[in-house]
Amino acid sequence: MAAGEAFTAAQRHEIDKAIRDAETLCRYEFSVFVGRSEGESRPFAERLHATLVAPERSVLVLVDPAAKLLEIVTGTEARRVLDDAEVHLAVLAMQSAFAAGDLVGGIVQGVQQLAEHARRPQVRHGS
Amino acid sequence: MTNHPEHSTRGTFLRRAATLLTLVPALLVTSLTGTALADPPVQWENNPPASPLHVILILVVIPVALFALITLLVYLPSMGKGESYQPGQPWRSEPEWFGGPRGGVQAADRTEQPLSVGGSADHRDERGGASGRW
Repeated sequence: MAAGEAFTAAQRHEIDKAIRDAETLCRYEFSVFVGRSEGESRPFAERLHATLVAPERSVLVLVDPAAKLLEIVTGTEARRVLDDAEVHLAVLAMQSAFAAGDLVGGIVQGVQQLAEHARRPQVRHGS
Repeated sequence: MTNHPEHSTRGTFLRRAATLLTLVPALLVTSLTGTALADPPVQWENNPPASPLHVILILVVIPVALFALITLLVYLPSMGKGESYQPGQPWRSEPEWFGGPRGGVQAADRTEQPLSVGGSADHRDERGGASGRW
């Protein structure tokens, strides 16, 4: 099959739009990888994350639909506003959408949810 | 008082006559046109009787075919969309990386070595995230 057969132009646009909206919402960079993860999924996702332009400020979402695997990697800076528990919530939301067979919807929803959590103003008290 | 019943019978007779008078021409006209239409005009050429198969073809097969064609044309775009990838199927396409670096996965392969050498253990721990399966 040719490259890019998995998504229609409209679906690709939907995911692109979700990423753009998320980035304007929380000023962190989002990246979604959909495809087969080579080897162990976690190291592979971290490797992809490290390749991004600004890994510290980036959130990488890896979806391996064939293996039914999902990995979200947050950079050091992004993690300050987006802790692992919040990421896990987004993972749960995406899992349920994926389990229902909605790949694009799950990705869009997950990215939106991550951005919503990351948008939360950073409250830093004096201490 | 005595001639009242007589008056009423005359009234009913008149009413019946009136209805008959209006109905008969109406019936006559319709029956006459009916007989007139029974015979086709002489100028019409005498068509050979159509076979039932031909009638079915014209009246059933062609409309149904048109119906099917139009339905197909309407649903074709969404059908094409419906054939797109569903989770769980084997992934045959190239990986898609939205918001990734220009080189895609190949770029990740190239930069893997320097980053894994440069990244220290504690730096690795600072990254967060979560994993899941479904």
